Amino acid sequence: MMTLPDLNVLRPASVAEAVEALRAHPGARVLAGGTDIVPNLKYGMYDTQHLVALRGLSGELRFVRESAGPGDLLLGAMCTVDELARSEVVKARLPALADACGQIAGPQLRRMGTLGGNLCLDTRCVYINQTHFWRNALGYCLKKDGTVCHVVAGGKRCVAAASNDTAPVLLALGASVKTVSPRGSRELPLREFYVSDGVHNTVLAPDELLTEVRVPAAAASRRQAFAKLRTRAAIDFPALNLAVALDLDGKVVRSVSLAVSALAARPALIKGLEDLHGRTADALFANELGRRAHKQCKPLTNIGIDPEWRRELLPVLVRRTVLRAIG
Amino acid sequence: MSIGERFPKSDGVVKADGSGLYADDIAFPRMLHAKILRSPHAHARIRSIDLSAAEAYPGVVATLVGSELPAKYGVIPWTQDETALAVEKVRHVGDAVACVAALDEQAADEALRLIRVDYEVLPSVLTPEDALAHPEIKVNEKAKVGNITKHVHLQFGEVDEAVAGAAAVARETYHYAGSTHVPIEPHCAVARMDADGNLTVWSSTQIPHYVQRELSRVLGLPQSRVRVIQPLLGGAFGGKSDPFALEFCVAKLAIKTGRPVKILYTREEVFYAHRGRHPMKMDVTLALDRDGRIAAVDNRILIDGGAYASFGLVTAYYAGQLLTGPYRFGTYRFDSYRMYTNKPPCGPKRGHGSVQPRFAFEVALDEAAAMLGIDPMEVRRRNFIGEFVETVNGQKITSNGFLKCLELVEEASGWKERHGGKLGRGRGLGVAGSMYISGTAYPVYPNEMPQSGVLVKLDRSGRVAIFSGASDIGQGVNTLLCQIAAEEMHCDPREVTVVAADTDLTPVDLGAYSSRVTYMVGLAAREACQKLAAKLQAAGGATFAEACQRAEAAEGAPLAATGGYRTQKLGGDYRGGTIGASPAYSFTAHVAEVSVDEETGIWKVEKIWAAHDCGKALNPTLVEGQIEGSVYMGAAEAQMEEMVYDEKGLLFGPSLLDYRIPTSLDTPELDSFIVESIDPGGPYGAKEAGEGPLHPAIPAIANAIHDACGIRIRELPFYPHRILKLLRERDARGARGKERAAS
Amino acid sequence: MRLSALIRLNVNGEDHALAVPAQRTLLEALRYELGLIGSKQGCDKGDCGACTVLARPRGAAGRGEAILSCITLAHDAQELAITTIEGLAGPQGLDPVQRAFADCGALQCGFCQPGMMLSARALLDQNPKPTLPQIKEALSGNLCRCTGYTKIYEAVQVAAGLRSPAQRAPVRSERAEASDSVAQPVKEFAP
Repeated sequence: MMTLPDLNVLRPASVAEAVEALRAHPGARVLAGGTDIVPNLKYGMYDTQHLVALRGLSGELRFVRESAGPGDLLLGAMCTVDELARSEVVKARLPALADACGQIAGPQLRRMGTLGGNLCLDTRCVYINQTHFWRNALGYCLKKDGTVCHVVAGGKRCVAAASNDTAPVLLALGASVKTVSPRGSRELPLREFYVSDGVHNTVLAPDELLTEVRVPAAAASRRQAFAKLRTRAAIDFPALNLAVALDLDGKVVRSVSLAVSALAARPALIKGLEDLHGRTADALFANELGRRAHKQCKPLTNIGIDPEWRRELLPVLVRRTVLRAIG
Repeated sequence: MSIGERFPKSDGVVKADGSGLYADDIAFPRMLHAKILRSPHAHARIRSIDLSAAEAYPGVVATLVGSELPAKYGVIPWTQDETALAVEKVRHVGDAVACVAALDEQAADEALRLIRVDYEVLPSVLTPEDALAHPEIKVNEKAKVGNITKHVHLQFGEVDEAVAGAAAVARETYHYAGSTHVPIEPHCAVARMDADGNLTVWSSTQIPHYVQRELSRVLGLPQSRVRVIQPLLGGAFGGKSDPFALEFCVAKLAIKTGRPVKILYTREEVFYAHRGRHPMKMDVTLALDRDGRIAAVDNRILIDGGAYASFGLVTAYYAGQLLTGPYRFGTYRFDSYRMYTNKPPCGPKRGHGSVQPRFAFEVALDEAAAMLGIDPMEVRRRNFIGEFVETVNGQKITSNGFLKCLELVEEASGWKERHGGKLGRGRGLGVAGSMYISGTAYPVYPNEMPQSGVLVKLDRSGRVAIFSGASDIGQGVNTLLCQIAAEEMHCDPREVTVVAADTDLTPVDLGAYSSRVTYMVGLAAREACQKLAAKLQAAGGATFAEACQRAEAAEGAPLAATGGYRTQKLGGDYRGGTIGASPAYSFTAHVAEVSVDEETGIWKVEKIWAAHDCGKALNPTLVEGQIEGSVYMGAAEAQMEEMVYDEKGLLFGPSLLDYRIPTSLDTPELDSFIVESIDPGGPYGAKEAGEGPLHPAIPAIANAIHDACGIRIRELPFYPHRILKLLRERDARGARGKERAAS
Repeated sequence: MRLSALIRLNVNGEDHALAVPAQRTLLEALRYELGLIGSKQGCDKGDCGACTVLARPRGAAGRGEAILSCITLAHDAQELAITTIEGLAGPQGLDPVQRAFADCGALQCGFCQPGMMLSARALLDQNPKPTLPQIKEALSGNLCRCTGYTKIYEAVQVAAGLRSPAQRAPVRSERAEASDSVAQPVKEFAP
């Protein structure tokens, strides 16, 4: 077996206790479903011995409900991705999210993994997600214990890939997240949540917990679709993934959002699409979106699948996904 | 339920209820857990090893280094070039260097980190081309010349003349990148030394007899004091048919500490143990005469062997020796080099040494036939070698149901109506054939003793006990023994106890490799059962139990009999002629249907029809299982399996997430057909079914991709990016062709 | 001595008290503390499914969902009721899933199968008459290297009553007639 180090696992019974535990143990990491952190701990990727387990927070943080007033959909961070994939409410109102959740990993992992865990998924790279022995043989890197990057020669910023499937969908749908820390709670748009740093690609402070996702009510009326490229049809992380959301007025595009991920550390919202408002939602439009995505996205060797090929595929995938969303 | 019937597996219940014991399920009081320290360098001299901090670590009971086990071993006597732990040098990343035994695994792991090894890093060679070009960088001192493990050159007839005079010549280079077995159970061994000096090792191994021999030699113990037991085994496919470091380490540590010791490899370590399919570069020339008959075949093969020989001697022969059927050709040459490189060693993986050349051959055959406008099915029929014939390299083919195999897959796939671009752009069918051995004449170490032995004992209660040295690795040999007993003696096959693979109790069987078990163990078992059947017949009785009692009374002694399989003299009369010579050959044909997305290069195997001539299906369910599993494994190699190394010899992704095998959602629909040619030599006519059915999958898929979109892919795996590149080249050629036509 | 804490696990309907360190996984606890060796270790990091067990909140009905025990901490399993392969059989003998796997040839080496059978059991508990795509989907987190999955699907269909055990694929076994093609052997010999 790959042995785990001695661990001190704190088991708070409430959100307040959880953030206090994080504050009291600098460097402690969060254990939700465990599907990412436990394998990574076995790989020796983290130095901490302290884990703050969130199982006790299920009562508080496992819900799918509508907000009063605007009717936004509120998703608790401890919902498993499997229950979101099966939820009638999510399937009806956010079909792209249900689709994305249903394609995460494999069946057992979906029942264990949480929404919060997926949004906060550690970035991945072929050079980091390996045993300590292997990383030592290769030479440590920027993300852990080293000073070089094996993906970008001379690189000074870690480009390990954002590998979560919920992020592109929620970005395209304009979601926001709520967090809690000893300093109180805050809500911020998801597009401000991720940063271009593979070492730690969110703005979460070490003592801050993501508790809830808010998806605007308007998202339910947007045409939306998700696509995931991977070698196998189960288990694998994305080689590329993307989500598109459109407001259509008949056949006319009122607005469009396109998010692409599994590139570098930050899921990318494709920029400068405003000039496409007013266009007809047709194959030409889909092609144009693909062209722009191709221009703005550059897959790297952080994922062990030919990056040039992935880049060539991107416009094809975008085009097909947009056409699927349009219907 | 006897021969030919779907008798449920005799170990089905213990596997279904979770009570069956695999090696890691075995534990003893006071057992220690050991871990192996491995080299981070592809090639280095060991200046010193400092174990002091590790030895002082709480929980650590003992350590071990290579100098304590300096005797070399290796599965093939002529190339014993490995030591349990490195002596002086490490030869690949992951090579075993030192071992620590502790009270628990966590302590052992933590103590490993405290071992200080002073390495002098040496230059390394990572490709067979580099290994050839740099004989001064000596990977393994066993090589007599440079880094050559083995060079084989065999020629039959005037090849160059025949090629020059041929009507169609396909001459291309093919690359196979190398894959590994991925048994779901990692290697595991447990050792215990008793107070009388008897050593017992339980190991997940396909070769308990060889392990016993090598343990004895390396540890300096008499072989009669070494007992090797193979418990239930969780998959092998050739990956557990070498002796491995963990077996020697647990044994030596058990001796040193006086306590039982266990090592369970992590999944990463299984990748470093490897012994998988050799990367091969193959320059294949296949020439046809005007009528589409094979005029000559010429094969140059460069084989990447990794740091140790393993079965490499045999690989260098198999790469050429196993291509001479199911098609007839009288002019043949092959030249193969198996090279040492500084990477985990390659060895036998299901279809050892012949899957790669078969891929190249079957694509070349299609290509040459296309030059003459001959249909791929037809060219294979036309070149059928026949039954009771000798191949160009002196192998005797007895029964041969290949034509029937072709007929079945042709019909089932709707070949005539659907092949030849008829399925529309992006969809196609491809065919391929193959031949494989049912064991070989070559017993690995030279000796006159039987390759297989079986002992059968009858109890007064009517209970039958069969003692068999054979390794049941999941293929079901233990079940077959029950059926053979029922067939010969008319006992109830459910009242048969099989004691298997325990070197103290069971007769020697050389192991589950080269698909020898059904044929050789089957014949041995039949012989023993027939002897007893005669006595039972003579004694008579109303029930089987009564017959046993009467026969025992008549005998005046317990009723038992033995049977053995003696290796026949087979093979051509030239050096290496026995390697690949088999008492019987199996035959297989596949048709694959694929769909290709020409915009992305992403392709899918929709379905594979596989027909396999196994002589006689002693248990159709087991044979189907072997066909289906083999086809799955072949398709997997075409789709997604590759051992990729970086420029320092570090294996990319030694995990099941990085090295991918197909899930249920990635596996094509499989339709299997059994052909029975009733071999005159095999038990009840049976031949092998464990490896043959894998071979045609890869070329059938390649040929189907050609039917679907007109490209020839000659490099494995068939990654989408390679397909896309070939599609682009095809389009560029097409555009140029149109230009030329227009101008 | 490692720092351990007392935990209570409910496995196959039985309560167990054991002292394990916080880092002990459920798989290790099952295999090495409780002697329930039916759950297997294939990769120890959630990639293969060989360690699959069924889990439900204590007090909930049914056997629960398939989860991976190699990446579940034993301490975290305290609030769950766990079913391992050893808990599938009952007083009447093997569970229909186990019986079907044994009879249909779905067990070759058998190593992936406890996990596979439990995933199948969880599927049938929730969806008693699954379609073939649904079966494939439910088993897509369990890797098998021996069978090519084909007989596993058959076994699940037999266990679900969708296919009768006797309705096996007929042995499409054809005798090969002596070849009547114009074979041009290199050298003939008498059989």
